[in-house]
Amino acid sequence: LASQQHQFSQKEVNGIPTEVVCTEFSNYIFVVLTQYGKIGTLISVTPDSRSNDINEVWLDEIPMTHVCAKNLGMFVSQEAGSRPVLLGLALKDSSIDAVKQIKEIIKSCQVW
Amino acid sequence: MSTTQNGAEFEAISVHNFTEKILEQVVHFHVMKFSGGFFLWVGSAPVLSNLAVSMSSRYDSMPLSTLVLGDPSNTAPNSLAQRLAKKTNKQVFASYSLPMTDSNLSLLVENRIKKELELHPEHF
Repeated sequence: LASQQHQFSQKEVNGIPTEVVCTEFSNYIFVVLTQYGKIGTLISVTPDSRSNDINEVWLDEIPMTHVCAKNLGMFVSQEAGSRPVLLGLALKDSSIDAVKQIKEIIKSCQVW
Repeated sequence: MSTTQNGAEFEAISVHNFTEKILEQVVHFHVMKFSGGFFLWVGSAPVLSNLAVSMSSRYDSMPLSTLVLGDPSNTAPNSLAQRLAKKTNKQVFASYSLPMTDSNLSLLVENRIKKELELHPEHF
Protein backbone atom coordinates (compact mmCIF):
# COMPACT_ATOMS: atom_id res chain seq x y z
CA LEU A 1 0.00 0.00 0.00
CA ALA A 2 2.34 2.66 -1.33
CA SER A 3 0.62 5.73 0.04
CA GLN A 4 -0.04 4.29 3.44
CA GLN A 5 3.02 4.56 5.54
CA HIS A 6 3.76 4.02 9.14
CA GLN A 7 6.53 5.13 11.43
CA PHE A 8 7.58 3.84 14.81
CA SER A 9 9.45 5.41 17.64
CA GLN A 10 10.27 3.96 21.00
CA LYS A 11 12.05 6.08 23.57
CA GLU A 12 12.20 6.48 27.32
CA VAL A 13 10.53 9.59 28.69
CA ASN A 14 11.52 10.18 32.33
CA GLY A 15 12.34 6.49 32.59
CA ILE A 16 9.03 5.33 31.12
CA PRO A 17 9.13 3.48 27.79
CA THR A 18 7.03 5.45 25.35
CA GLU A 19 5.92 4.36 21.92
CA VAL A 20 4.71 6.53 19.10
CA VAL A 21 3.24 4.82 16.05
CA CYS A 22 2.01 6.96 13.15
CA THR A 23 -0.05 5.55 10.29
CA GLU A 24 -1.03 7.67 7.33
CA PHE A 25 -4.45 7.42 5.74
CA SER A 26 -5.70 9.78 3.05
CA ASN A 27 -8.25 11.35 5.39
CA TYR A 28 -6.53 10.99 8.78
CA ILE A 29 -3.19 10.48 10.39
CA PHE A 30 -3.63 7.85 13.07
CA VAL A 31 -1.16 8.36 15.92
CA VAL A 32 -0.82 6.01 18.86
CA LEU A 33 1.08 7.55 21.76
CA THR A 34 1.33 5.09 24.60
CA GLN A 35 3.16 4.18 27.78
CA TYR A 36 0.86 1.26 28.51
CA GLY A 37 1.33 -0.68 25.28
CA LYS A 38 -2.34 -0.04 24.50
CA ILE A 39 -4.27 2.42 22.34
CA GLY A 40 -6.03 4.25 25.22
CA THR A 41 -8.31 7.26 24.83
CA LEU A 42 -9.19 8.20 21.26
CA ILE A 43 -9.31 11.83 20.18
CA SER A 44 -10.20 13.12 16.74
CA VAL A 45 -8.76 16.51 15.80
CA THR A 46 -10.19 18.07 12.66
CA PRO A 47 -8.79 21.54 12.02
CA ASP A 48 -11.28 24.10 10.93
CA SER A 49 -10.50 27.54 9.51
CA ARG A 50 -12.72 29.16 12.14
CA SER A 51 -11.95 27.08 15.19
CA ASN A 52 -10.12 23.95 16.07
CA ASP A 53 -12.70 21.21 16.20
CA ILE A 54 -11.72 18.55 18.67
CA ASN A 55 -13.87 15.55 19.22
CA GLU A 56 -13.10 13.18 22.04
CA VAL A 57 -14.51 10.06 20.53
CA TRP A 58 -13.81 7.52 23.23
CA LEU A 59 -13.18 9.22 26.44
CA ASP A 60 -11.57 9.06 29.77
CA GLU A 61 -13.27 10.79 32.71
CA ILE A 62 -10.09 12.33 34.05
CA PRO A 63 -9.81 16.06 33.17
CA MET A 64 -6.02 15.93 32.94
CA THR A 65 -6.23 13.39 30.15
CA HIS A 66 -8.67 15.64 28.35
CA VAL A 67 -6.34 18.65 28.54
CA CYS A 68 -3.29 16.62 27.61
CA ALA A 69 -5.09 14.93 24.74
CA LYS A 70 -6.28 18.23 23.27
CA ASN A 71 -2.81 19.71 23.60
CA LEU A 72 -1.06 16.78 21.95
CA GLY A 73 -3.80 16.26 19.37
CA MET A 74 -3.55 19.84 18.19
CA PHE A 75 0.23 19.67 18.17
CA VAL A 76 0.25 16.59 15.94
CA SER A 77 -2.31 18.13 13.63
CA GLN A 78 -0.24 21.30 13.25
CA GLU A 79 2.98 19.31 12.69
CA ALA A 80 1.16 17.42 9.97
CA GLY A 81 0.22 20.66 8.19
CA SER A 82 -3.22 21.04 9.74
CA ARG A 83 -4.42 17.61 8.72
CA PRO A 84 -7.05 15.67 10.62
CA VAL A 85 -5.58 13.45 13.27
CA LEU A 86 -6.90 10.47 15.19
CA LEU A 87 -4.86 10.23 18.36
CA GLY A 88 -4.77 7.27 20.71
CA LEU A 89 -3.34 8.41 24.04
CA ALA A 90 -2.31 6.35 27.09
CA LEU A 91 0.20 8.13 29.29
CA LYS A 92 1.42 7.29 32.80
CA ASP A 93 3.25 10.58 33.07
CA SER A 94 1.55 13.60 31.55
CA SER A 95 3.69 16.25 33.26
CA ILE A 96 4.71 19.33 31.28
CA ASP A 97 8.24 18.02 31.04
CA ALA A 98 7.08 14.65 29.72
CA VAL A 99 4.75 16.26 27.18
CA LYS A 100 7.67 18.43 25.95
CA GLN A 101 9.80 15.34 25.38
CA ILE A 102 6.93 13.53 23.71
CA LYS A 103 6.48 16.43 21.31
CA GLU A 104 10.10 15.98 20.26
CA ILE A 105 9.45 12.31 19.56
CA ILE A 106 6.37 13.21 17.51
CA LYS A 107 8.43 15.63 15.44
CA SER A 108 10.84 12.86 14.51
CA CYS A 109 8.01 10.50 13.55
CA GLN A 110 7.50 11.98 10.13
CA VAL A 111 4.88 10.16 8.20
CA TRP A 112 3.60 13.48 6.84
CA MET B 1 8.90 -8.44 24.47
CA SER B 2 11.67 -6.16 25.64
CA THR B 3 12.73 -5.27 29.16
CA THR B 4 13.41 -1.79 30.48
CA GLN B 5 16.15 -0.79 32.90
CA ASN B 6 13.99 -1.33 35.95
CA GLY B 7 12.97 -4.80 34.77
CA ALA B 8 9.39 -3.99 33.76
CA GLU B 9 8.13 -5.96 30.78
CA PHE B 10 7.15 -4.00 27.75
CA GLU B 11 5.40 -5.42 24.72
CA ALA B 12 6.27 -3.28 21.75
CA ILE B 13 3.57 -2.46 19.21
CA SER B 14 4.09 -4.30 15.93
CA VAL B 15 2.59 -3.83 12.51
CA HIS B 16 1.78 -6.43 9.85
CA ASN B 17 0.50 -5.79 6.34
CA PHE B 18 -0.80 -8.23 3.76
CA THR B 19 -2.72 -7.98 0.51
CA GLU B 20 -5.05 -10.32 -1.33
CA LYS B 21 -6.92 -10.12 -4.60
CA ILE B 22 -10.51 -11.03 -3.82
CA LEU B 23 -13.17 -11.11 -6.54
CA GLU B 24 -11.03 -9.01 -8.88
CA GLN B 25 -10.40 -6.43 -6.19
CA VAL B 26 -7.11 -5.75 -4.47
CA VAL B 27 -7.77 -5.72 -0.75
CA HIS B 28 -5.20 -4.45 1.73
CA PHE B 29 -5.05 -5.53 5.37
CA HIS B 30 -3.17 -3.57 8.02
CA VAL B 31 -2.78 -5.02 11.51
CA MET B 32 -1.36 -3.11 14.45
CA LYS B 33 -0.80 -5.44 17.39
CA PHE B 34 -0.70 -3.95 20.89
CA SER B 35 -0.85 -5.33 24.41
CA GLY B 36 -4.14 -7.18 24.84
CA GLY B 37 -5.49 -6.58 21.35
CA PHE B 38 -5.09 -5.28 17.85
CA PHE B 39 -6.22 -2.70 15.34
CA LEU B 40 -7.24 -4.08 11.95
CA TRP B 41 -7.87 -1.92 8.90
CA VAL B 42 -9.26 -3.44 5.69
CA GLY B 43 -9.64 -1.52 2.45
CA SER B 44 -8.60 -0.86 -1.14
CA ALA B 45 -7.82 2.83 -0.92
CA PRO B 46 -5.91 4.11 2.14
CA VAL B 47 -8.84 5.83 3.80
CA LEU B 48 -10.07 5.46 7.39
CA SER B 49 -13.83 5.60 6.83
CA ASN B 50 -14.98 4.11 10.09
CA LEU B 51 -13.74 2.55 13.32
CA ALA B 52 -15.42 0.18 15.74
CA VAL B 53 -14.06 -1.29 18.93
CA SER B 54 -15.11 -4.50 20.61
CA MET B 55 -14.17 -6.51 23.70
CA SER B 56 -15.54 -9.38 25.72
CA SER B 57 -17.34 -8.71 28.96
CA ARG B 58 -18.97 -10.80 31.65
CA TYR B 59 -22.39 -9.37 30.80
CA ASP B 60 -22.99 -11.12 27.51
CA SER B 61 -21.66 -14.07 25.57
CA MET B 62 -21.24 -11.72 22.61
CA PRO B 63 -18.53 -9.07 23.01
CA LEU B 64 -19.59 -5.46 23.56
CA SER B 65 -19.08 -3.32 20.52
CA THR B 66 -19.32 0.36 19.73
CA LEU B 67 -18.79 2.54 16.69
CA VAL B 68 -16.22 5.25 17.31
CA LEU B 69 -16.02 6.86 13.87
CA GLY B 70 -18.18 6.66 10.78
CA ASP B 71 -21.74 6.22 9.61
CA PRO B 72 -23.84 4.23 12.10
CA SER B 73 -25.95 2.77 9.28
CA ASN B 74 -22.92 0.74 8.20
CA THR B 75 -22.76 -2.24 10.52
CA ALA B 76 -19.71 -3.84 8.91
CA PRO B 77 -16.98 -2.52 11.23
CA ASN B 78 -19.01 -3.38 14.33
CA SER B 79 -19.77 -6.95 13.32
CA LEU B 80 -16.21 -7.52 12.17
CA ALA B 81 -14.78 -6.17 15.44
CA GLN B 82 -17.25 -8.23 17.44
CA ARG B 83 -16.56 -11.51 15.65
CA LEU B 84 -12.81 -11.05 15.91
CA ALA B 85 -13.04 -10.13 19.59
CA LYS B 86 -15.02 -13.30 20.23
CA LYS B 87 -12.60 -15.44 18.27
CA THR B 88 -9.39 -14.01 19.74
CA ASN B 89 -10.66 -12.97 23.17
CA LYS B 90 -8.83 -9.67 22.76
CA GLN B 91 -9.77 -6.02 22.40
CA VAL B 92 -10.30 -5.38 18.69
CA PHE B 93 -10.40 -2.09 16.78
CA ALA B 94 -11.74 -2.71 13.28
CA SER B 95 -12.06 -0.48 10.26
CA TYR B 96 -13.71 -1.76 7.08
CA SER B 97 -13.36 0.44 4.01
CA LEU B 98 -14.75 -1.67 1.18
CA PRO B 99 -18.03 -1.20 -0.68
CA MET B 100 -20.91 -2.82 1.16
CA THR B 101 -22.78 -3.72 -2.01
CA ASP B 102 -21.22 -7.16 -2.30
CA SER B 103 -21.96 -9.42 0.66
CA ASN B 104 -19.94 -12.15 -0.98
CA LEU B 105 -16.89 -9.93 -0.81
CA SER B 106 -17.21 -9.31 2.91
CA LEU B 107 -17.55 -13.02 3.57
CA LEU B 108 -14.41 -13.79 1.57
CA VAL B 109 -12.58 -10.93 3.25
CA GLU B 110 -13.46 -12.27 6.67
CA ASN B 111 -12.34 -15.75 5.67
CA ARG B 112 -9.03 -14.28 4.54
CA ILE B 113 -8.61 -12.62 7.94
CA LYS B 114 -9.34 -15.91 9.70
CA LYS B 115 -6.78 -17.65 7.52
CA GLU B 116 -4.15 -15.08 8.47
CA LEU B 117 -5.08 -15.49 12.12
CA GLU B 118 -4.43 -19.22 11.82
CA LEU B 119 -1.22 -18.88 9.82
CA HIS B 120 0.27 -15.97 11.76
CA PRO B 121 -1.34 -15.63 15.19
CA GLU B 122 1.76 -13.80 16.39
CA HIS B 123 0.75 -10.76 14.30
CA PHE B 124 -2.61 -10.30 16.06
